Amino acid sequence: MSENAGIAKLILESNDGAKIEIDRQVGERSVLIKNLIEDLPEDEVSGQPIPIHNVNEAVLRKVIEWCEHHRNDPPTTDDDADTRKKTTDIEEWDQKFMQVDQEMLFEIILAANFLDIKPLLDVGCKTVANMIKGKSPEDIRKTFNITNDFTAEEEEQIRRENEWAEDR
Amino acid sequence: MPQPRQVRGTALNNFPSAPDKDDIDKTWDYLKSGIDRIHDNLQDGMDLKTYMGIYTAIHNFCTSQKAVGISSPATISSGAHRGAHLLGEDIYKKLIEYLTNSLEEHVKASESHQDEALLSYYIKEWNRYTIAAKYVHHLFRYLNRHWVKREMDEGKKHIYDVYTLHLVEWRAVLFNKVHEKVMGAVLKLVERQRQGETIEYSQIKSVVESFVSLGLDDQDSTKTTLEVYRYYFEKPFLEATKKFYTDESKQFVAENSVVEYMKKAEARLNEEEERVKMYLHPDIAVQLKKTCNQALIADHSDLLRDEFQVLLDNDREEDMARMYSLLSRIPDGLEPLRSKFEAHVRKAGLAAVTKVAADAEKLEPKVYVDALLEIHTQYQGLVKRAFNDEPEFTRSLDNACREFVNRNDVCKAGSSKSPELLAKYTDVLLRKSGTGIEEAELENTLTQIMTVFKYIEDKDVFQKFYSRMLARRLVHSTSSSDDAETSMISKLKEACGFEYTNKLQRMFQDMQISKDLNDGFKEHTQSLDSKVLDSQYSILGTGFWPLNPPTTTFNPPAEVAADCERFARFYKNKHDGRKLSWLWQLCKGEVKATYLRSMKSAVIFQVSAYQMAILLLFNEKDSHTYDDIASITALNSDALDPSLGILLKAKVLKSEGDKVGPGAVFNLNYEFKSKKLRVNLNVGMKSETKQEEVETNKTIEEDRKLLLQSAIVRIMKARKQMKHQQLVSECINQIRARFVPKVSDIKKCIEILLDKEYLERLDDDNLGYLA
Repeated sequence: MSENAGIAKLILESNDGAKIEIDRQVGERSVLIKNLIEDLPEDEVSGQPIPIHNVNEAVLRKVIEWCEHHRNDPPTTDDDADTRKKTTDIEEWDQKFMQVDQEMLFEIILAANFLDIKPLLDVGCKTVANMIKGKSPEDIRKTFNITNDFTAEEEEQIRRENEWAEDR
Repeated sequence: MPQPRQVRGTALNNFPSAPDKDDIDKTWDYLKSGIDRIHDNLQDGMDLKTYMGIYTAIHNFCTSQKAVGISSPATISSGAHRGAHLLGEDIYKKLIEYLTNSLEEHVKASESHQDEALLSYYIKEWNRYTIAAKYVHHLFRYLNRHWVKREMDEGKKHIYDVYTLHLVEWRAVLFNKVHEKVMGAVLKLVERQRQGETIEYSQIKSVVESFVSLGLDDQDSTKTTLEVYRYYFEKPFLEATKKFYTDESKQFVAENSVVEYMKKAEARLNEEEERVKMYLHPDIAVQLKKTCNQALIADHSDLLRDEFQVLLDNDREEDMARMYSLLSRIPDGLEPLRSKFEAHVRKAGLAAVTKVAADAEKLEPKVYVDALLEIHTQYQGLVKRAFNDEPEFTRSLDNACREFVNRNDVCKAGSSKSPELLAKYTDVLLRKSGTGIEEAELENTLTQIMTVFKYIEDKDVFQKFYSRMLARRLVHSTSSSDDAETSMISKLKEACGFEYTNKLQRMFQDMQISKDLNDGFKEHTQSLDSKVLDSQYSILGTGFWPLNPPTTTFNPPAEVAADCERFARFYKNKHDGRKLSWLWQLCKGEVKATYLRSMKSAVIFQVSAYQMAILLLFNEKDSHTYDDIASITALNSDALDPSLGILLKAKVLKSEGDKVGPGAVFNLNYEFKSKKLRVNLNVGMKSETKQEEVETNKTIEEDRKLLLQSAIVRIMKARKQMKHQQLVSECINQIRARFVPKVSDIKKCIEILLDKEYLERLDDDNLGYLA
């Protein structure tokens, strides 16, 4: 397991065949890629595209955009993760970044999950959380295009069970 | 956590054929081929496609939605019940199965190896396995992040992240079967090294590291404990060490001298310390030391201690230092040495005193004190150099010194002889003398005096003698240096406190005050404009000076008496109500003899007040009878006879047959000759000092009684009521700094106080204080 210090650039390949060259530092925002660079011999990683099976070009470019912006962030620790979870605050740049259509939003979340980019995953989930916040079940269904498959009785029961949590 | 969703998109041309994500067997087959490569052929390298393939396959398997229907993009599947269920258990179980099988094969393979070959095998496999584990851990990161994490968060036992799982499996399958053989090989190797062979100790270091890694904390798998290492490595290691050194030392002792053995043991102990640093875990250091100390030292401690006396007798400092350092490593190892040392020093001290005490009567104080100091210096040096200046050894030294200083051949009659001689030696040092010791050396010698003083039990005796001799030095101005006097007093004050030196300091003050007083008196007499004597007076406070009034009556000569009266008036004027009494026996003066025709210039006689009174009589006529002199001076024969005796002996006066006594006639000797212009006739007589000594010793007994009584009253005043026994011991405590009181004396003093009604007897052996 060498450090492979000689590697400066990486090529990522999306599942639709697009090859995107990025700085190593940018790629290492993904723990998957970081480990991969560590684990594999240098000649395997340099020059050869890394296949990202589960992400298409559009989403991959979006993810890379985020990584470029956050390339100098300090590495996250478990302690930060806890404090980050507790708040739904999203920094301004990330808010703008997340102003995309719903499909793209979910694709970004999935890509972040696959590539193991915890901060991006958190920002994505917070964005979704903010979309839900303060809405009635009916509004939420509308927002996410969900069909209500509860019967009236079932719904009443759930409402009673969760009464304690309601804002009054 | 986002809902896992199916990934759109089709398999790409250049990706390896990914397994069906819903089929555990197919997925596992795919994974297994990759894991095989990692475990068995990592040296050939891993390729990018396989790496990404495995990661993706696990991701896909864990996110497959075989339980639910496929939802359309941008739609979150509805079933709320799915959120709690994460896939991954199947893969985890398959991995366990894989590791178990693989490890069992390695156990079989290990059976063909022995000793060093087994060690090599174990370490090779361990290194391979742990490196592989790190790779697999990375590849299975998706499983770790989701399924394993969820299981652990829910408090499931025996679920570990993939790396830890590898270690757990290694321990359960392989380690449990081979650790004994591995340890056996390790111990054989260590034994060979202990016998002087060079070994490849890096193997042992690796084994230690492996055993340590296997100590997993069941409560928190991210932490390691040393339990596995302690049980499977330390324990057998310590047992083998114990056996090795027990055997070796038994044999060595039988064939070699104790001194040789100590060298050997010291070398062995150092070796073992090195061993820990070289390839063992620091955790073993304390236990290993203990084991070695037991086998190498404690088991032979009696033998070592028996040798100590021999080393002391032969002054083998280096060997004693070695013995000290060995025995200091075991509990209670040094105590027997200390008592032997104490006895030895005491014996040496007593012998040294006996050597110089052949003629106790003529014993020079310096010779005696030097003998004491020599022994102290010698053994203090030994304590410093061989016994690390250890406080307990210093205490033994102190105990021994106290014994031989206070109870030796010179002190047969009583312990007061030591302080007396010490005080006399101090007097010799502080008195003006021809020896002319350098200031620095004098200070040094005084410090040594204090060393002996510290051990003196009868400090009150020293005080008595010292103050008498100080008084003499001050009154006769024979002190060699004020600085040295002050330095000595401050040393005594430091050792015994203010009270001890209070009187000594007051004596100094009196001398200073007297000086000022004389200056004042001079001025006063000059204004009187009459012919006066050139006189000096010293006012000595009665309570502070150890001086007695003269034992004879005395009529001072008229010239002197006039001046004395003038001074007395002057003094009364300043300090009304104070009573002056004249210590004629201490007074001295100078008279100029102008009647000597044979001398070119006048001779000055330095004389005592008594001698002066006698000589001045001869101003009137050249011849006086003994009886005339006695009646005019009013001196009794005890004072008169010696004074006349000296004048005769110096040939200042003449008498028929140099006789002194009633009927004798004294004539002035006009033929007196002297080489010097000053003739000292004021010389004390030997018998005088001897008598003083006896007197001093007598007063000590009296003073002690008073000291004891005052201590008893002080204690009782504070406590009001006390048991007899308690009072005695409290009294001993308080007085000990001055002298060691006898219990019978204390009892006598209590009786006296009962009679004087300071105390009363109560019930039950109690004593009460009467105000």
